[in-house]
Amino acid sequence: MDGTIDFTMGLSQGIAWPWPIAVYLFFAGISGGALATAIFVRFYKKQTVNTPFYKAAAVISFVTISLGMLCLVLDLTNPLFFWRILVYYNFTSVMSIGVIALTVYIPLTAIVALLALEEELRSIPALKVLLPIINKLKAVRKPIEVLVLVLALSVCAYTGFLISALIRFPIINTSVLPALFIASGISAGAASAKMLAVSLFKEDLHSQDMKLLHGAEWPIMFAEAMFIFMIVTSLMTGNAGAQSAFAAFHSGEWASVFWLGVIGIGFAGPLLLNFATSKSFSHSAKAFYASGVCAVTGMMCLRLFILYAGQNFAI
Amino acid sequence: MEDAVSENIERRRFLKCLGASSLIIAPLGCSSVKEESDANKPHYVMVFDQNKCTGCGECKDVCNVTNNLPDGKSRLIMEQQSGGVVGSACPHCGKTDCDCERKYVRVSCQQCKNAPCVTVCPTGAAHRDEKTGIVTMDKAKCAGCKYCIGACPYDARFINEETDVAENCDFCLNTKLVNGELPACVQQCRYDALIFGDANDPNSYVSKLLRVKDSVRIKPGFGTEPSLRYIPIVKLGV
Repeated sequence: MDGTIDFTMGLSQGIAWPWPIAVYLFFAGISGGALATAIFVRFYKKQTVNTPFYKAAAVISFVTISLGMLCLVLDLTNPLFFWRILVYYNFTSVMSIGVIALTVYIPLTAIVALLALEEELRSIPALKVLLPIINKLKAVRKPIEVLVLVLALSVCAYTGFLISALIRFPIINTSVLPALFIASGISAGAASAKMLAVSLFKEDLHSQDMKLLHGAEWPIMFAEAMFIFMIVTSLMTGNAGAQSAFAAFHSGEWASVFWLGVIGIGFAGPLLLNFATSKSFSHSAKAFYASGVCAVTGMMCLRLFILYAGQNFAI
Repeated sequence: MEDAVSENIERRRFLKCLGASSLIIAPLGCSSVKEESDANKPHYVMVFDQNKCTGCGECKDVCNVTNNLPDGKSRLIMEQQSGGVVGSACPHCGKTDCDCERKYVRVSCQQCKNAPCVTVCPTGAAHRDEKTGIVTMDKAKCAGCKYCIGACPYDARFINEETDVAENCDFCLNTKLVNGELPACVQQCRYDALIFGDANDPNSYVSKLLRVKDSVRIKPGFGTEPSLRYIPIVKLGV
């Protein structure tokens, strides 16, 4: 009775999750990636002061996750229904579990930002009221940081689990997605925090922290490339549904987003800027910002590609 | 002789397995009180007989009215797969004038026993009705996140722009079944192409029908165990 009956039309008319969700996945990834990297560096190097990188990561993680939430709310059919997700829970739903993680994570990023920006807040008289609160929070700083490190990585992974539950789409419904989103979240999060650390918090371009981060960049990028390669090969060699979705990599407008945006800008961009240019240029501020922007743009393209190409190539 | 020996071994092995498995299964059986009560619950199914459907579309029209849907939105549509309608090309052979058998398929919520929409819904708005086991919506809980729409392997859910919440075909649970009536489409169909009933009741017409007819389910590979069954046209022409 092979293929005796089937239908191809649907009732939803268009894709369920458009670009604001891709932007949300992007912001959540940056937020989690930046904060996880900063706290990891702090623990690894046993830092006790608020380094420029830590400050930048704290600011970025709070701002991006807030913007991400805004995208999420605005994408609801009626943004005023948002309270329903916070009041009703369903523990078999990845989204519901994510909401619980985010309701803990977001206030904690705000607390980490307060702790990180203590000196800056001290210099603004209007914000003096916050200082007693900051002093109280200092006592629990270590446990908060441990918890937020776990949650930051969980939020990155959650964005992957969230969409990989959509079983109709072979590109999205893969087990590698959470890992890919952690890796790309860390690389783009660290890149954006580095840029803010140098530009706003006056970090030296060649400081110890920056050197450590530059060194970590390549293995993470390699992991990211491996995860993408795994998805591509599993689709190419998979069943009929997977094979039809493989077309997303060589036909249609999203194929160009993948090759130009993800591979060209996201991977080839930083590699060329760092290894194909003279040493004086690759160590300059220009190259630093350019490769940072490349990493962040590549990550955004990756989210857009996965979401749009994924939903366009349904079984 | 040889047969007797192998039979003996087989019996011994069978008894051994029975003993071992009962040790494993028994505690499981005790814990799943829910499963036992399911036998007494109804399992509402709908059968779409493709051989009888003419594609008149009255099922869809009456559904839209019964369930008060806005223009352009439907809980069910008929996909024409082959056969000429005057003035348009046959979807199967591409000719405007052909001898292809006219073939339609009902596209609507498949009422899965293992429903992804119910699993992914963050608020429990997409849920299984306690009494009937039918997958339906609690409009007051839906946040409009559209997770259920993406998760549905059949693309059978949509947003009702008037209420801003997701909807699916729930066999007219709140518009007809609640009054003891059959779903509106089933009542409307003049060709008996739609049959509705409780598959857990061995005396129901639908149970008897499913016992004698070959019926298939759409995309069974997703493991969703749909409750909609299709009796397909198998022959491709004389």
